[in-house]
Amino acid sequence: MAMARDAGARARGGSRRLAFFMAVLRTHPSFALGYAIVLMVVLLAIFAPWVAPYPPETADPVAFLQPPGWPHLMGTDATGMDIFSRVIWAPRIDLSIAILGTLLSALIGTTLGALVGYYQSVRGLGRFGAGFVMRSADVLQAFPVFVFAIALVAVFGQSLQSIVLAIAFVNAPIYLRLMRTQVMSIRTMRYVEAAWLAGMPDWRIIARHIVPNAMAPVLAQLSVNIGWSVLLTAALSFIGAGVKAPTPEWGSMIAMGYQNIVTGHWWPSIFPGLALAVTVFGFSLVGSSIEVLSDPARRRRLAGRLETVRGIAP
Amino acid sequence: MRLLSYLGQRLLFVAPQLVGILFVSFLLVKLIPGDPAVLMLGPFATPDGLARLRTELGLDRTVVEQFLIYLGNVVQGDLGTSWQTTMPVTSDLAQRFPATLELVTLGLLVALAIGLPLGVAGARYKRGLLRTGADYYGLLAGALPDFWLGLVLIYVFYTMLGWAPAPLGRIDFAVIPPEPVTGALLIDSLIAGNWEAFRSAAGHLVLPVLTLGLINAGPILKMTQATTERMLDSDFSRYAELCGLPRKVVVAQALRNALPSVITIVSVLYGFLLGGAVLVEIVFSWGGAGQYAVQGVLNADLNPVLGFVLYSAVLSLFIYLIVDLLYFLIDPRTR
Repeated sequence: MAMARDAGARARGGSRRLAFFMAVLRTHPSFALGYAIVLMVVLLAIFAPWVAPYPPETADPVAFLQPPGWPHLMGTDATGMDIFSRVIWAPRIDLSIAILGTLLSALIGTTLGALVGYYQSVRGLGRFGAGFVMRSADVLQAFPVFVFAIALVAVFGQSLQSIVLAIAFVNAPIYLRLMRTQVMSIRTMRYVEAAWLAGMPDWRIIARHIVPNAMAPVLAQLSVNIGWSVLLTAALSFIGAGVKAPTPEWGSMIAMGYQNIVTGHWWPSIFPGLALAVTVFGFSLVGSSIEVLSDPARRRRLAGRLETVRGIAP
Repeated sequence: MRLLSYLGQRLLFVAPQLVGILFVSFLLVKLIPGDPAVLMLGPFATPDGLARLRTELGLDRTVVEQFLIYLGNVVQGDLGTSWQTTMPVTSDLAQRFPATLELVTLGLLVALAIGLPLGVAGARYKRGLLRTGADYYGLLAGALPDFWLGLVLIYVFYTMLGWAPAPLGRIDFAVIPPEPVTGALLIDSLIAGNWEAFRSAAGHLVLPVLTLGLINAGPILKMTQATTERMLDSDFSRYAELCGLPRKVVVAQALRNALPSVITIVSVLYGFLLGGAVLVEIVFSWGGAGQYAVQGVLNADLNPVLGFVLYSAVLSLFIYLIVDLLYFLIDPRTR
């Protein structure tokens, strides 16, 4: 019933929603900036082979440490690789690792969090398991994050999969806690009780009624977390525990140019860092826009303001 | 009295928590491929020598046995030796932990000096240039990689302007460091009355401290702004305003009520930075505790990692206790 009504409203409200979204972007230029940055980085990641003027891993030993200019827009590094091309290629690695790692951590964290939140107040094995998961999360979070991530990469062996796994492990407790608190409050709602009384099995109650209603804060967290994971990937590569050197990746590029900074060759390190910062900035802007839009009270206030201005509301 | 029983309860959980954290780190480092015996003796080791060293290090026992032996030593104050530095971990850390603490403490003080006033101002003026600037600063500070910002500062203030000393450690090579008392160079040189060392140490601190301060001001700013704003919107502030109190007094009152959450975020940052400042330490060749731990992880050197985890866990616990005491001081309702 509720689902059908919802679907109908969605079909009718689709174009209005889009209009509302566009109006929000117009009144909040910072959100528009965030979406533009993220879109640009994703497009660059996809079309890097066609956009980049040089191959990213081919060194020109004659043209090393060329200052920014023509034909090397951002100059070349100490081995003679074109920095502009490498900066463009880098999001392929950085974004894939960050997105995969974040999605994996959200998957692990929200699943566990939903189970823990649901079974915490049930007596018996469920409660024991929930307590065990929470205490494990406590211990994991007591670690210094960065040392923990490096140790994980070292345990799994240095490869892309290991970095993804390390990011997933480090971030999973965030989603676990988010989901748990959400589920604990939703669990006491009447409609959950009704479903239970109607004889619905636990897993269906969780999947159909609880998880969809608990997802909003998780979604807002995802975007911020992707940006944060890009930073972590770059940091791991910077100290040599992440992506290995000739592969174009922002952190390892900063590390390669690090020795040249003191001698005045700033471009091998500064440009990749700038790209990194802008990308993470974009993702946090998108995150804060999702936070505003997924909070019903704030959305209503926004809609009210927009309506008085231009007569648009969702 | 309530305070004392609360502290007692807290301390009761400390020991099992510490053992748990140590055990997990122990397992984690043991899982890292790489045989310390092989690494220690190098490529020309005889199988016989390797076997003898393994017995000596206790590597032929089960992991649980090894852990229990380690735990027994820890209780007696022996954290083992690092095979990389060939020094006892306690003396290594006695040298490096104060370096990190000095850096992180000053960095957070700078972060507070930037974040707190900006956050209050942002909460006070909801529209306008200042608020927009504060909002963007909060987001931007969270997006900047700290190691990169450190490099930018080095480039500008060392390479270009020549104002800062070379990013190679905590003090000039030519300056004789003061006799270690606390391990923090600033304090030690003051105790020794050694002005030259003080000036050199302070000069070396400026850029890394600024790096940490600029980055970590972001979360402090956001937290201050959000909580102060909420306090300004709440009933007691409205009442104060209706009574005709000047705006300044109302804001000060709101800030006082917002302080507990600001202190919380500072304590969280403190715990995080003990290990999280490692990248800044590397960029400035600081020789701090984080670097020590990372080197340990990368070279399968177990004892330094465990020692670092133990020290930072104890220190975080200590910080959280201080934070609880501060709550008692700030908020009369908890007394």
